[in-house]
Amino acid sequence: MQDQDTKSLWGDAFSRLVRDRWALISLIIVLAYSLIALLASFGVGVPDWKTSMGAEYLPPGGSLWLGTDLFGRDVFAKVIHGTKIAMSVGLVTSLIAIPIGVVIGALAGYFGGWIDDIISWFITTFSSIPNIMLLISITLILGKGLTSVYLALGMTGWVGLARLIRGEVMKHKEREYVQAAGAIGGGHLRKLFIHILPNVTHLVIINTSLQFQTAIKSEVILSYLGLGVQGEPSWGTMIDDARMELARGVWWQLAGATVAMFIVVLAFNILGDALRDALDPKLKGK
Amino acid sequence: MTNYIIRRLLYLIPVIFGVSFIIFILFNVVAGDPAPLLLGKHATAQQIHDLREQLGLNKPLFAQYMDVVRSSFTLDFGRSWATRQDIYDMIRQGAWPSLTLTIPAFAISTIVSVLLSLVVAFYRGKGIDLFIRFLCIAGMSISSVAYILFFQYFLAYKMGWFEISGYEPEFPQFLSYVALPGIIWIVLSLGPDVRFFRTVILDEIYQDYVRTARAKGLGEITVLLKHVLRNAMIPIITYVVIQIPFLILGALLLESFFSIPGLGGITLNALNSSDFPVIKAMAVLSSIAYILFSLLTDVLYTLADPRVKLK
Amino acid sequence: MERPLLSIQDLTVDFITRDNSMRAVDKISFDVPMGKTVGIVGESGSGKSVTSLAIMRLLPQPPANISGKILFDGTDLLALPDDEMRKIRGNKIAMIFQEPMTSLNPVFKTGAQVAETLMLHRGMDKKTAWEKAIDLFNEVGIPNPSQKVHAYPHEMSGGQKQRVMIAMAIACDPKLLICDEPTTALDVTIQKQVIELLQGLQEKHRMSMLFITHDLGVIADVADEVVVMYRSKMVEKDKTRSIFEKSNHPYTKGLIACRPDLGANPKRLLTVSDFMDEEGNSLKVTKERVQVFEKNYEAKNDSPILLEVKDLHTHFPIKGGLFGRKVGEVKAVDGVSFQLKRGKTLGLVGESGCGKTTLGRTILRLIEPTSGSISYEGKDITHLPNEQMRLLRRKMQIIFQDPYSSLNPRMTVGEILTEPLVVHGLGGGKSERLNTAKELMEKVGLKANQLNRYPHEFSGGQRQRICIARALMLRPEFVICDESVSALDVSIQAQVLNLLLDLQQEFKLTYIFISHDLGVVNFISDEVGVMNKGKLVEMDRADRIYKNPREEYTKTLLSAIPKGLPKNLEAFLS
Repeated sequence: MQDQDTKSLWGDAFSRLVRDRWALISLIIVLAYSLIALLASFGVGVPDWKTSMGAEYLPPGGSLWLGTDLFGRDVFAKVIHGTKIAMSVGLVTSLIAIPIGVVIGALAGYFGGWIDDIISWFITTFSSIPNIMLLISITLILGKGLTSVYLALGMTGWVGLARLIRGEVMKHKEREYVQAAGAIGGGHLRKLFIHILPNVTHLVIINTSLQFQTAIKSEVILSYLGLGVQGEPSWGTMIDDARMELARGVWWQLAGATVAMFIVVLAFNILGDALRDALDPKLKGK
Repeated sequence: MTNYIIRRLLYLIPVIFGVSFIIFILFNVVAGDPAPLLLGKHATAQQIHDLREQLGLNKPLFAQYMDVVRSSFTLDFGRSWATRQDIYDMIRQGAWPSLTLTIPAFAISTIVSVLLSLVVAFYRGKGIDLFIRFLCIAGMSISSVAYILFFQYFLAYKMGWFEISGYEPEFPQFLSYVALPGIIWIVLSLGPDVRFFRTVILDEIYQDYVRTARAKGLGEITVLLKHVLRNAMIPIITYVVIQIPFLILGALLLESFFSIPGLGGITLNALNSSDFPVIKAMAVLSSIAYILFSLLTDVLYTLADPRVKLK
Repeated sequence: MERPLLSIQDLTVDFITRDNSMRAVDKISFDVPMGKTVGIVGESGSGKSVTSLAIMRLLPQPPANISGKILFDGTDLLALPDDEMRKIRGNKIAMIFQEPMTSLNPVFKTGAQVAETLMLHRGMDKKTAWEKAIDLFNEVGIPNPSQKVHAYPHEMSGGQKQRVMIAMAIACDPKLLICDEPTTALDVTIQKQVIELLQGLQEKHRMSMLFITHDLGVIADVADEVVVMYRSKMVEKDKTRSIFEKSNHPYTKGLIACRPDLGANPKRLLTVSDFMDEEGNSLKVTKERVQVFEKNYEAKNDSPILLEVKDLHTHFPIKGGLFGRKVGEVKAVDGVSFQLKRGKTLGLVGESGCGKTTLGRTILRLIEPTSGSISYEGKDITHLPNEQMRLLRRKMQIIFQDPYSSLNPRMTVGEILTEPLVVHGLGGGKSERLNTAKELMEKVGLKANQLNRYPHEFSGGQRQRICIARALMLRPEFVICDESVSALDVSIQAQVLNLLLDLQQEFKLTYIFISHDLGVVNFISDEVGVMNKGKLVEMDRADRIYKNPREEYTKTLLSAIPKGLPKNLEAFLS
């Protein structure tokens, strides 16, 4: 074998991932949504949602692909703007929840003992309160709006990951390669950060894809309840609008927001599954 | 076993302390003053001060926390700030509509999911497996709110098959009110449930004992229904039982949308009107239920899996 | 001539996936005569287990694609419809597997699992089937059968579980019993009992047996004829005695020659590569190469004592009661004392759970001792503070059992090898450290340019060489090998053992060699300690232990080793 053929587990997983056609398509969809979100946040190359383009409730047709809303605004432009909101909610909540989950889970799993007792107690306490109640409470208390949604989802999203990382770190701690690191004189920091954590990182990646879609779905529910985004369109507020519109036969806001969300959440779902297959060493060779 | 149960019951104490602490931080420390909200715009400073005194909000923070802890342990939550009703009366009234919705829906969706996942596991890797798996993922990718709106519009409003909203507590009248939200519940649960159960069943299918069962000459269906399912029941039980405490809280979104006067609706109203005692009661009761049901899971484990001994 | 019970003709198994196709079994043909035992011997990946699963039609199709003929009693099993095949499985052909721990369904009573077979094929009602199950439990030597049928698998020992598997297999009086590595997971004393049981049952029920194993010692004891498989192909097939006495194929010769045995102690072990090159051509083997060498056990008797262990105890608490208080303890190491002189090798043998691994890890302070003392170079290190212990780790190293889990899969071999130097701030800069790593890679028989590869790109034997190189990076004086060759195939095992001997000489190492395999320990050790239930039962010079064991336990252990056939190396010289 030639030397340059060498492949790390990561490289190996990546090539397996892109060989899976559906995973590749999903990855492209996620990247496309991210790009749209990025463009929309700079206001570049995206249609304007603020100004009225014509009469109220124009059905889809012509240049208005998804028609207009009550104020004659372009529904397609609102969907695009909603993409920005949705992706930002996914990103920000992941940035909050995942570091918390990893650190808390790793500490509990590695050190065990009283540290684990305290963290497990905290995790149990947190999961014993229904998630939606916590979400709504936090959003209400911090004041309606996007920032509260970020914080509420970020502060509740770490629990599952922490539990997962805790269990996994516990398992790896007993593996011989970690024992070997101890036998050559490596300390706790080396064992935890250089040896164990890189071996559970794949779980973090899989979980990020999960966190993203949970966040997007939760934003819709919170906005629908009137707690989320204020004064700008999001998929949730659009679906909320549709509550009044459907009886009048206006289906395009609901359809636009639902389909936009469906595509990206589906892509995250498929990507998450593909990542699990590609990254989980346990499934190798099955 | 007895030791284990006692220890787990004692674990309720730190958990209630913890839940009280979260509630306290959220509502006594972070949240704004509820008094002006409760008294309305025209309240005088004196009225606000009196109300705060009455609600114990003028005490030092630690004393306020101890108040929360005390009421959590005594389960004495007093009256709702918003409606002045006794909280246990509210719960008693709300429980029935909630349970008539959630219990049948939960039972049906669990049974259907287990059956579907067995079918999918039997045909693993074949067309029908791929198709149902795709349906599950696709179904999970649609917002629950969109389901609610669409089903209500189409099945109730357009087709007129179900009541649009409302509730009557008598049997069998309530059926026509809970049927549609129940169906939506089932549709929402099928995706994640079938996916989870399928994974659990497939994890078992590759075990050595399954090969032994096949080597005996057993047919694939017997292997699946007898040997595999019995082992897969262990994670399935955990997954199912731990959902039960949250059923008691009802289906927040469904109840509020279909105007069912259940606990979910009560909770949502309480959250909206900063009705602190009601929120506290709901949080504490559901975490007690959570601990009790996770204990129940552990006990059921010993029945499902002879290897498990609770110590 | 009588028609053979099983006749395999040109059996070929391919595993076809979307990305590639792999031939697991390549056109093999052999017969199993009535009432005889045919052994299939081969190393991991040789296709022997796939062959047995193909006969049972237990390979999932796809990915497996099977061609050829499997004639059982004249019918081609491969042509049978599924429901006809099911009537044969467990009824006329039964099978027992390697892993008794996982092969029984954990949630059903063992009796029920035996009765299930009877109800299925004999149409018995539940009551009769259970009664028959009790008889079968009795027949396979499970004590208290009428109670034990109500036991769950986890309530039984490994040997008993394998007996349950056997009871299940013989329940319907099969004509053919396929045993796929039935004793590999068992301790040597239990292995002996299970093999004797199988032989007795075969005679009584006049079954034919197809016995699959990697262990030539076992095969010599049980099989009338042997089929040797190598890389999916059948390389040789003959009467057992002929295979051992005048094998024709270089691979078979190598396989027989590389097994350490108790009778003789060659200077080095022969390996398959002494007999056969990469392409499978025979090589010439010289006479001095196979010469039996008398080990000089007294050679380093005057060297100083390196390690002294006095009354060492390592206990693990058993928690219980209301608040998880300690209610008892497992005495994993229970009062062990010995001395080890510099440059010598101490072998520790014992069956699973005897405490040998815990002892090794306690000596290195990877596990803290409960009481007693460990002295290294005359200095008591039992309670040495962590910082000083860390410095001492440069001198004391360990090589673990499992070459798969003992290397971090996310690090390159270069990173793995230089890590010890990084941890201790030794070996100069990055390039100097890499140079040291390259040197050691070559010393352990790997290529220096493989440093940027990852562990999963190496075979098991190569990985174990990497582990050895890692242990030597700090130039230690003392190395514990904890079952370091147990997970390897016998031909690879011989290479690694030779390597360990070479390195011992070159680096002046002192070894503690922990293993369950008495042959391996005999080959490599100067002194041998036998462990049982946490205690050192007997310790003596290696040859004395094997020739004149004093303790009853040592005698039992030694007598349980499969006798095999004497290897006649002279005949293998070409």
